[in-house]
Amino acid sequence: MSDTRQTVQHPPPAEARLIGAHMPTSGGLYKSLTLGREIDCSAVQLFTCSPRQWNHATLKQEDVKRFLDAKHDTGIVFTVAHDSYLINLAAPSEEILWKSQAAFRSELERAEMLDIGWLVTHMGAHLDQGEDEALERLAQSVTQILDETDKLGYKVGIALETTAGQGTGLGWRFEQLGRILAAVGDHTRLGVCLDTCHVFVAGYDLRGQKAYELTWSEFDREIGYNKLKVIHANDAKKPLGSRVDRHEHIGNGEIGAEPFARLMTDPRLAHVPVIVETPDSDTMHAENVARLRRLASGQSPKISVTVQLYGHLSDVNSGEYLTLEMPFFATVADVAELLAKRDKRLENIRANCRFAVGEEYTDLTRKVYDGAVVAVLPPVSGG
Amino acid sequence: MAIARVTDDIIDSQQTELLVSSDVNGAICTFVGKVRNHSRGKSVEFLEYKAFVPLAEKELMRIAGEAETRWGVNVAIIHRFGRLSIGEASVVISVGSPHRAEAFAACQWCIDTLKETVPIWKRETGPDGSFWIEGDESLKTGCC
Repeated sequence: MSDTRQTVQHPPPAEARLIGAHMPTSGGLYKSLTLGREIDCSAVQLFTCSPRQWNHATLKQEDVKRFLDAKHDTGIVFTVAHDSYLINLAAPSEEILWKSQAAFRSELERAEMLDIGWLVTHMGAHLDQGEDEALERLAQSVTQILDETDKLGYKVGIALETTAGQGTGLGWRFEQLGRILAAVGDHTRLGVCLDTCHVFVAGYDLRGQKAYELTWSEFDREIGYNKLKVIHANDAKKPLGSRVDRHEHIGNGEIGAEPFARLMTDPRLAHVPVIVETPDSDTMHAENVARLRRLASGQSPKISVTVQLYGHLSDVNSGEYLTLEMPFFATVADVAELLAKRDKRLENIRANCRFAVGEEYTDLTRKVYDGAVVAVLPPVSGG
Repeated sequence: MAIARVTDDIIDSQQTELLVSSDVNGAICTFVGKVRNHSRGKSVEFLEYKAFVPLAEKELMRIAGEAETRWGVNVAIIHRFGRLSIGEASVVISVGSPHRAEAFAACQWCIDTLKETVPIWKRETGPDGSFWIEGDESLKTGCC
């Protein structure tokens, strides 16, 4: 079933990697692309309608056109839609199953109109009514809808997403996805989306060479690399095996930066687009996308911070700047701590000094970025 | 419009006064901070001021702007950095106002506030060596 010979001979250069984020669509679906371009996305994921409602009007022609034009203008070649959270294609209740299938057909229709490549969906939940039966219902739903849409000439594919295993959700074990793929049969429009946070909290460790390889070989055995169409890159707030789905910024969570460094330079995954669904999308998507790009280019998952010491502290390095290597998620407090360890004369700066990043006073909780200049300012004596 | 600058040039306090002079202002109050030859019981030969220039200018501007708003006056603050000899001006604050009460008050407030918040540090050098002044403390320094 799996084709481990699908090691890519010529992985694309780091700049050509398709990396992006789940982008907001308020103001129009096309905004996901224009905003995505602003934060350097070469791939974008979006909801094509509100994910918390059942009923949706058909897309207006002008919205479709704006989206297609934006695709052309921004050059964002890879787009993926995420379906509504309400859809449960494995639902034990006939009513919900029917509603879900209808909604899913609409999702595919919208994605097809928007020339989106893949529709990511969760595998539904069995709601304590039997996992096997649920998986069968899911397989049937998928088979039926693929057939129907084949006849309509659809190009958009369905990507089943690995889940965290919360509640009675399906898809938290690779073999469950494997079963669906086997039941439906090989189909070019059927694939899988792997979410790093989900698989981690579901119990698949990614930390360290050994665990990483073990997880991926299981993935390959049960599902197959060639079925992997999208990766959701999210760190995890909760520990391994907790089955609690809370996304965290890349490198800041329980997974940590090192597995993402591996992922982004893994030749077996080089052609798979990567999408972040990390929190604080307004302020942090750009940062998370940038972190992944750094990692893809083989750069260290550490950032470089310049420190300027003022007042009597300037004696510490004879008035010269200091350069520190900090982890991704470092704050000004972390910088102060590292300085304190480095030199006894800097022991008390946290308590006694003010800090500035760039040209602004800041508090200790502020995160520092690559290239930041941190000024350590003892009590002043101007005038 | 408030004026605030950090410079390593000699400050001309007459020029600074001109910046806040206008036909509506009947009072100009100028504070000149000068280098004196003694500090905390020690003799001083010269001073050096080091500044975090961009932030110092921002802070001086903030202070000048606040004073202008609070007292309805015109304010110019020039602070010098680098090496200064005894008698040279380290800071000049000029306040122009229709009447003197506001001019005095704003000027005092500016120098008092500036001394608390602006990122500029003074190092005094005398026969006993060099000392960074920080808040209430005087810290001996190796380098000169």
